[in-house]
Amino acid sequence: MRLRLVARGDADAFDAVYDQVAPAVFGIVRRVVRDPAQSEEVTQEVLLEVWRNAAKYDPGRGSATAWVMMLAHRRAIDRVRSVQKESERERRTAVADIPFDEVAEAVESSLERERVRRCLRSLTELQRESVTLAYYGGYTYSQVASLLGVPAGTIKTRMRDALVRLRDCLGVAS
Amino acid sequence: MDAISAPDRARFERHLAGCAECAREIASLREATARLATATAVPPPPGLKERVMAAAAATRQRPPAAEPEAPARSWRARTWRTRTWPRRGRLALVAGAVATAAVAVVAVVFGVSNGSMHDQLSQAQASSQQVAAVLTARDATMMTGAVKGGGTVTIVMSHARRELVFTAADLRALPDARGYELWLIGPAGDRAVSMLPPVRHGMTGPVIAAGLRPGDHLALTAEPPGGASRPTGPMVLDVVL
Repeated sequence: MRLRLVARGDADAFDAVYDQVAPAVFGIVRRVVRDPAQSEEVTQEVLLEVWRNAAKYDPGRGSATAWVMMLAHRRAIDRVRSVQKESERERRTAVADIPFDEVAEAVESSLERERVRRCLRSLTELQRESVTLAYYGGYTYSQVASLLGVPAGTIKTRMRDALVRLRDCLGVAS
Repeated sequence: MDAISAPDRARFERHLAGCAECAREIASLREATARLATATAVPPPPGLKERVMAAAAATRQRPPAAEPEAPARSWRARTWRTRTWPRRGRLALVAGAVATAAVAVVAVVFGVSNGSMHDQLSQAQASSQQVAAVLTARDATMMTGAVKGGGTVTIVMSHARRELVFTAADLRALPDARGYELWLIGPAGDRAVSMLPPVRHGMTGPVIAAGLRPGDHLALTAEPPGGASRPTGPMVLDVVL
């Protein structure tokens, strides 16, 4: 990804970056934020933040894609938390009925999607549900814990174990 | 680590500078997390790209170093006692601490916490006890100054407590349900302190900013309703603490 060029104001490079990441950004934002109009807004904010802060990306801390996805996820969570009160959110969604592949409008089942789906299936049920609720649902530790009826400390270690297993399953170098 | 607030996250990431193994662990978990996002990719609606490109053309880019904008006004600080700011040693995580830090890692890469930044942001009004503690601190210093666009602010700060109390009067009302947001901007990154509480009789506050660090600036910006996780609006105040 040509973030260094983007940082220097190269609009063509930013155009290419948009094509490369916008579907992933929109996908995760829509998954977390759900509301279509707000999802578009947040997606636009994220991409604008990539443009504005491209110079702050530090290659030593990870891939450019990971940096963009982190921005996207963080903004999506912020939007959800600033818009909805806690009690409303807890009533909003049935607990364990958040399957990974809920986004019905995904056009293709890509190799990457299958790989991640397979690796999520390799987790224990508690690990998978914790990751799903925390990452895609944006719930806090204590919310996940109460939704799953499990102590918060257990959730933390399960999520940590889940991430490590996911990493190893996906073959991310450590 | 229960709550990973923005300051804690920044501090945690700073500690990583002393531990290469920790940094690698975090980076790899961050990559794995990013895959959770890329796997749910969906083509965005048409027209979004045009809007984004147009907005980018009108948006100034930020330089690499975290540099706050020029101060709105020079400040007069009346000190009753000067103190040298205590130097913070860098904490290096030893290799064995990598496992223990892993729980915090999850919080960092997932943005999970027990209190969201916005929960904290909504606790706008400081308790009178907290305020009194800062005002009566032996090393309390007071600063007053003008806000770009209208209004004055008064800050009482205690270096020893690393806290300050912020109040403002006669701030210009913002359009479209936008609000003022208070930030600490420093070498470790921007941290949101709080949205300013509702104005009463022309005054707003008091707001406590805690966890002050050497090199911090206190800044006030105008933000969209609900605030922002990073300063996006125009900076109407910038105080070197």
